[in-house]
Amino acid sequence: MKAFMAAFLVWTLISANGGGGEAWPTHTACRDGSLEVLYQSCDPLQDFGFSVDQCSKQLKSNLNVRFGIILREDIKQLFLDVALFTKGSSILNYSYPVCEEDQPKFTFCGRRKGEQIYYAGPVNNPGFEIPPGEYQVLLELYNEKHSTVACANATVICS
Amino acid sequence: MAPRVSCFLLAILFSASCEVIASLDQTCTEKEANKTYNCENLGLREIPDTLPNTTEFLEFGFNFLPTIQNTTFSRLINLIFLDLTRCQINWVHEDTFQSHHQLNTIVLTGNPLIFMAETSFNGPKSLKHLFLIQTGISNLDFIPVHNLENLESLHLGSNHISSIKFPENFPTQNLKVLDFQNNAIHYLSREDIKVLRQATNLSLNFNGNDIKGIEPGAFHSKIFQSLNFGGAFNLSVILNGLRNSTTQSLWLGTFEDIDDQELTSAMLEGLCEVSVESINLQKHHFSGLSSTTFRCFTQLRELDLTATHLQELPSGIEGMNSLKKLVLNVNIFDQLCQINAASFPSLTDLYIKGNMRKLDLGAGCLEKLENLQKLDLSHSDIEASDCCNLQLKNLLHLQYLNLSHNSPLGLQNQAFEECPQLERLDLAFTHLRVNAPQSPFQNLRLLQVLNLSHCLLDTSNQHLLAGLPNLRHLNLQGNRFPDGSIPKANLLQTVGSLEVLILSFCDLLSIDQQAFHSLGKLSHVDLSQNSLPGNSIDALSHLKGIYLNLAANSIQVIPPRLLPILSQQSTINLSHNPLDCTCSNVRFIMWYKENLHKLEGSEETTCASPPSLRGVKLSDVKLSCGMTAVGIFFLIVFLFLFTILLIFSVKYLLRKKYQHI
Repeated sequence: MKAFMAAFLVWTLISANGGGGEAWPTHTACRDGSLEVLYQSCDPLQDFGFSVDQCSKQLKSNLNVRFGIILREDIKQLFLDVALFTKGSSILNYSYPVCEEDQPKFTFCGRRKGEQIYYAGPVNNPGFEIPPGEYQVLLELYNEKHSTVACANATVICS
Repeated sequence: MAPRVSCFLLAILFSASCEVIASLDQTCTEKEANKTYNCENLGLREIPDTLPNTTEFLEFGFNFLPTIQNTTFSRLINLIFLDLTRCQINWVHEDTFQSHHQLNTIVLTGNPLIFMAETSFNGPKSLKHLFLIQTGISNLDFIPVHNLENLESLHLGSNHISSIKFPENFPTQNLKVLDFQNNAIHYLSREDIKVLRQATNLSLNFNGNDIKGIEPGAFHSKIFQSLNFGGAFNLSVILNGLRNSTTQSLWLGTFEDIDDQELTSAMLEGLCEVSVESINLQKHHFSGLSSTTFRCFTQLRELDLTATHLQELPSGIEGMNSLKKLVLNVNIFDQLCQINAASFPSLTDLYIKGNMRKLDLGAGCLEKLENLQKLDLSHSDIEASDCCNLQLKNLLHLQYLNLSHNSPLGLQNQAFEECPQLERLDLAFTHLRVNAPQSPFQNLRLLQVLNLSHCLLDTSNQHLLAGLPNLRHLNLQGNRFPDGSIPKANLLQTVGSLEVLILSFCDLLSIDQQAFHSLGKLSHVDLSQNSLPGNSIDALSHLKGIYLNLAANSIQVIPPRLLPILSQQSTINLSHNPLDCTCSNVRFIMWYKENLHKLEGSEETTCASPPSLRGVKLSDVKLSCGMTAVGIFFLIVFLFLFTILLIFSVKYLLRKKYQHI
């Protein structure tokens, strides 16, 4: 019964937001000769904006990204879960603390519910080469109460 | 039977449709009856009629209220907390909160405010917390000053504020928290700070403001609870500006996304004239780190150097005798001795968590820290074949030790002999190698809490937990027992003082009836996420008034003889079990309904069989297990035939008896 109620609530919200319960549009985070990164918000409440500065098969370390979103939760503590799939099978699951009380890594840590955030800066990633193929990536940002801050279904196409 | 079930299902379906209809009307979620409601993200244009007048806590964020005025909330006169985050409010008109005498928190975060009337906040008798984050404020005159005398916290982050100068008549006497995060404040003058003179023990937050200058003497003889200049580019400007001030804590850390200057000894000179107890310098780079770098740190009690790229602390730092707490998390030490612990003889708390390289504990590296009470060495890839007496030598007063999330540790008998005062020991997710029949925790007479979750323990070693007379809390989550069973003779027999026992995720299939017999003081038993059947409850027959978690096991039927054992406990969780809802389990189902107040997770406690009731909440199941109609029919037929037979036989006997006459 709870699941049904939740589904119903989500349905009313989506239909109130933008007509007929459509999903959020798919955006391009970056596109270059050999690499294309597409993403779609999987948070039923809202979309968000994201782009990566450089887009190449040889992924550089410490990439610069741009990110814009409205916070629906406080982010004194913020965690990122990444799940990587190819051809339906899971390759990698990874969890990374972005903001912690004893180590707020980024300037936006500690901002409050309702704030609009624009972040343009490095993400402190390691550099590596992406093997050709198509990958599905599920990214989830959540806080200490496990409330969703952002959720993305991404597709990486590397040729 | 069958028609009854279908009737019942129909009833459920009907009630479900009723609930849906109700939910169209009742848009808000009730969190506490008549008091706390959440109406977020519903696109509401007014307070719904369904909210009771008694509502005290209202979360009303992400709705649509372009104008708020004295009629908007007039019905909810008992409001204490009102969250109006991102409601697209442009106007706060006169006397909006006139009738809300109890209101103490107003959240207006993320609203594009155009104007707030002079009497916007009139009404509340004691308005304590006001959130005006990201409301487009560029001038502090924008905030109406009336009725803010009781204000304790004022949040003004993410606006366009460039000067913190409040109007002269702004009441600051009760202010404890003043938050200016992420504004455009570049300069702090004496005039700016002077307005805050009435506030005592103020916490001021300038995180994310690029402060380029502070007028000399601006903070002269001011006393603060905390000052935050996070992300400031030039620390010497800040420290010189804070001359002759007093603050409990000073946060001067920086972030990944900020280019910072390298810290030199000269830049920290200003600290010599600031009275401060606790400093945070996270993520800075030190240039030419030497013992003189810390020349002005001598009065400190707490120093946080998280992620400051340290490979070692210089030896011979003098004058840090009063330092009590040192945080060295997320640095790049190879050897524990590289922190040169001898410089901090008074240290009571030491954190070296998340070291970026494999940390070698060495031998006796902390032996000069005689007063150490708390030591956190978790997530640091520590590996040792024979731990921990050599490594923790002379830590006679240690009370808390965290070695969780490390590489394999070999423990021998009395592995913690050097820290006899230990009260809490955390070894979670660290593979422990203990050869039976060794007792590594022997002689930890004061140990109360032991976390051994996911330690890949050899649980057949019955002496593993020997010598822990005061252990109250034991976590054995994620460890396996031979054959998935806890036998009568097991490692728990030596820890009779146990109050909290966690055995979840242990792949348990059975527990011997006598397995917990020596544990008479248990008050909390977590056996969730195993594969235990109903009769494992037998092992708890001697316990009363406990919290019992049996969620996510394989319980189908609970025999009536076990119900008294459940009845004598205070809280029970039976959710996510494949419970049987046929007449073979009827006594349990009746017991369940009578004891709903004792049950936790009843929303997720559902039937798995028969198929017609799968997923139905146990509390909704209606079983009548008297005789069925067919049964009654046969019984009547049987009784009828029996009577006929009796009559005939009596007739026959009588006839036989009187035949001779």
